[in-house]
Amino acid sequence: MSASANDEKLSPDFHVAHHFDTADQQFDSARMGIWLFLVTEILFFGGLFCAFFIYRSWYFSSFVEAHHHLDKVMGAVNTCVLIFSSLTMALAVRSAQVNDKAKTVGFLIVTILCAFGFLVVKYFEYQHKIHDGLLPGVHFTAQGFSSPHPGTFFAVYFMMTGIHGLHVIIGIGLILWILLRAQRGDFSARYYAPVEGVGLYWHLVDLVWIYLFPLLYLVG
Amino acid sequence: MSSHDHGHAIGGDHVPHVLPYAAYFATWGALMFFTIITVGASYVNFGPANLLIAVVIATLKATIVAAIFMHLWFDHRMHSMILGSAGLFLAIFIAFTMFDTESRGHLESITGERPADMSNPFLGGSARQKAMNALYPVGSNSVKLSAPGIVPGVFDVPAAPSASAAPEASATVSPEASASASASASVAASGSTSASVSGSVSAAPSASAPPKH
Repeated sequence: MSASANDEKLSPDFHVAHHFDTADQQFDSARMGIWLFLVTEILFFGGLFCAFFIYRSWYFSSFVEAHHHLDKVMGAVNTCVLIFSSLTMALAVRSAQVNDKAKTVGFLIVTILCAFGFLVVKYFEYQHKIHDGLLPGVHFTAQGFSSPHPGTFFAVYFMMTGIHGLHVIIGIGLILWILLRAQRGDFSARYYAPVEGVGLYWHLVDLVWIYLFPLLYLVG
Repeated sequence: MSSHDHGHAIGGDHVPHVLPYAAYFATWGALMFFTIITVGASYVNFGPANLLIAVVIATLKATIVAAIFMHLWFDHRMHSMILGSAGLFLAIFIAFTMFDTESRGHLESITGERPADMSNPFLGGSARQKAMNALYPVGSNSVKLSAPGIVPGVFDVPAAPSASAAPEASATVSPEASASASASASVAASGSTSASVSGSVSAAPSASAPPKH
């Protein structure tokens, strides 16, 4: 909790760049940059959400029928895994804020393990869908649907969860990067902007899933 | 560590705003609670409200994550505005796209019933438009000059057909013509020959009977 007595040793390589007046200004600029990046991410996923709402409106019966092929339990487990990983990510940022290197590294490791857990569950879900012939476009070979456009639902499903999964994979790489830097002793109360930035990104990945889960698995 | 005794001195170090552990665990508990609620709600059919309930709960969870985990509650308001503007423009994007996709096919039934003749686009509308076409033949310069401003109401929505429309339309146009023929009345007042007006008005259209071209 308390900063160590020899503050000069904290984040030894950190300095305020010459184009910033203060460390606060430098930190705020970095954080605003991340927020602006997150806006582009929101609008990027927004196109897919827009497609989801349009096709759901056009092919409502198909969406309702097709969404019963998704495993609610697996989706709910993955939701819990991601929410827990958001908690550990937030705690990792907090640990960096209070100069607790061991806890920062520990929480980041737990976050990465959760991310892998999410991908493992996703792998089993995809495997099942592919086995059932539910891939998009010409690869949709499943039979026995009573509504005319079940393939559209699975095309939207694969595109949205696939791009979200890609963000999880990228997130693993980013968390690994700050984990190694934290191990090296780069971060402290003086300087933890990369931890905060990766944390914000990881929370956004969680946010997107918070919408994906009910829309795809629960409502259809 | 007290959360609010920041020492943001000029030239000093950044002083982080550290939340207590309880804040993070309470946030996590709230997120799990709403996850259970939204899963539970999915087993109950609320009809068309299903989607709304799911989106409202998800937005509640997203707000909690943004406020605590992403520190927006304790952050510069500018960062909240950045996120809020993203939400606003996302809403505009989705809503305005769906204004289109949700109304496709509505116009086709109308144009199928009363197709527009693009060589003479004012033909086939109201009695007044018919009269206008008789007065100002296609290609006539006066159509362009007199179009919307000089003769009022050229672009009016066609009058609804009524049972009384037919006898009035076949009758000679006079200033006393009643509401459904008021179009031709104003045309007559604008200095037209009544012969051409009555000729066109006698072919008064109705929404149920498409004009022949």
